[in-house]
Amino acid sequence: MTITSRSIPDRMDLPFRGEPIHPTLASFPIAYFTAAFVTDLAYWRTAAVQWEIFSDWLITAGLVMSGFAVIAFVIDLVRGKRSPPLAWPHAIGYALAVLLSLLNAFVHSRDGYTAVVPTGLTLSGLVVVILLITGWAGRAQIARRREGADL
Amino acid sequence: MMHFVKIAHSAPRLAVVAIAGLGLAGCFDNGGDPKVQIGANPVLPPLQQYLVPPIRIAKVVPWGKETPTAPQGMQVQALATGFEHPRQLYVLPNGDVLVVEANGPEAPINRPKDLVMIWAQWLAGAAAKGGNRITLLRDTKGDGTFDQRTVFLDHLNSPFGVALVGQDFYVANTDAIVRYPYKEGQTSITAPGTKLTDLPGGPIDHHWTKSLLASPDGSKLYVGVGSNSNITENGIQAEYERAAIWEVDRASGAHRIFASGLRNPTGLAWEPETSKLWAVVNERDEIGPDLVPDYLTSVQDGGFYGWPYSYYGQHLDPRVRPQRPDLVAKAIAPDYALSSHVAPLGVVMTAGTGLPASYRSGAFVSEHGSWDRSPLNGYKVVFVPFSGGRPSGQAQDVVTGFLDANNHARGRPVGMAVDRSGGLLIADDLANIVWRVSSKGSEPQHDSSESR
Repeated sequence: MTITSRSIPDRMDLPFRGEPIHPTLASFPIAYFTAAFVTDLAYWRTAAVQWEIFSDWLITAGLVMSGFAVIAFVIDLVRGKRSPPLAWPHAIGYALAVLLSLLNAFVHSRDGYTAVVPTGLTLSGLVVVILLITGWAGRAQIARRREGADL
Repeated sequence: MMHFVKIAHSAPRLAVVAIAGLGLAGCFDNGGDPKVQIGANPVLPPLQQYLVPPIRIAKVVPWGKETPTAPQGMQVQALATGFEHPRQLYVLPNGDVLVVEANGPEAPINRPKDLVMIWAQWLAGAAAKGGNRITLLRDTKGDGTFDQRTVFLDHLNSPFGVALVGQDFYVANTDAIVRYPYKEGQTSITAPGTKLTDLPGGPIDHHWTKSLLASPDGSKLYVGVGSNSNITENGIQAEYERAAIWEVDRASGAHRIFASGLRNPTGLAWEPETSKLWAVVNERDEIGPDLVPDYLTSVQDGGFYGWPYSYYGQHLDPRVRPQRPDLVAKAIAPDYALSSHVAPLGVVMTAGTGLPASYRSGAFVSEHGSWDRSPLNGYKVVFVPFSGGRPSGQAQDVVTGFLDANNHARGRPVGMAVDRSGGLLIADDLANIVWRVSSKGSEPQHDSSESR
């Protein structure tokens, strides 16, 4: 997830040459999807439509950014910058969260209350749970690998 | 809906169903026979909710040399062509025909879905720019050809309904009723208008058309004001004094809500036998190809007709929060269903026209045609026979052929009017033509097809 610079870059483009692009982009949807769960909760409690509209755009923005992340991932693969080693639980969980969010975008495209309650809200919550679990699992795996490499 | 409610309670199965749901995302159920939804007691299936809003747009093709078709003994001709989105027609006392050319104001993009809807409208040819003007057509020789054409009123703001009372000509723009002085024989109005009253307009203005009808004694104007959403997705605040028929006092401009709960009352007419107000109303979308049937109904003073809380009396719509059981309890079921998603945009009550005798008593209803139902529905003008001031039988197709044999749309009927010689005029906002339907041999023969 995190980018660790080993030396201070002396040119602006150095970080992009040296590091993969996709982890940075991939973190945007996590923020958007989590925020959408919060605005869904707000809509559920208030039935005020501005929260539902927030959720719509947040989920859409998350999907757009995850699309960019996928493109960046492919570019990173081609450039051979696939480091740190891909954490599979993380990647699978992430992909599942994006797919569920795509489904959620369709549910949220409905008009009125049932755009959120109960299915949209459930999906938003599920996405956050998946992201939390896989984020933690993926990080743990990366940490183990790093430790292994250090030994 | 049901299986989604189940998902909510069985999270582990969700992933499986989610993937299955994505696979199904491109398909939607076909609607049944519209005939079972025509009349006083339409069959109403259980409601369903979609993953993908159903969009079924008819491909747009030109009429070429063809015209809409009418039953034996009648003919259809193009009265005039080359309009900019003609929506409404009005016949002045001297026989001049007014063509209101308009489209809605630019819709704001509030939700990602709005982008899809704008695309769908463009695909359907419904996004064409409106003229924002009224064109006058005159038959100077009295031979049935309207040979003179002038701009009657220009620079309007999405006008739809118009009405003449004495020497006062009223235009229902999307945001106000404006009065203009008119003298018989005038071919254009240059005098500035005077605002009679504001009407609910932007910034959302989801249903922008304001239908207009003067009371027989000329003291009141009745205005059909459509809802600001499909089903309150823009918030209930946005619906203030909408989805209603207003009664506007012509002298003061003051208004009251004559009837409410009418999602989009696009056409108003007086029933000649009983002098009661009738309306055609466009009902809600996205709960199934056979929900909710659009309708023709008498409008009771103070009546509430369900929207948004319920439809056809007490059928609840789960998409509306908070719900209003108090209003639902008094919701009136409409008189006559026209079947689902036909989009009735015009109604004309007959009182002895130049059409065959079988059309003397009843209502012509123009069905603009569905955009969210498969198979397509509407795209024709039907006649609902009346007797004793009430619908008395099955609606009959009168003017068809707006869809060709391949289900491509050549035209879409909107506003209608009866001209001085009794012909039925129909505005076609897709082909930009005004059609005239008449009995064969009822008038001097002429061929206006050359003008096309």
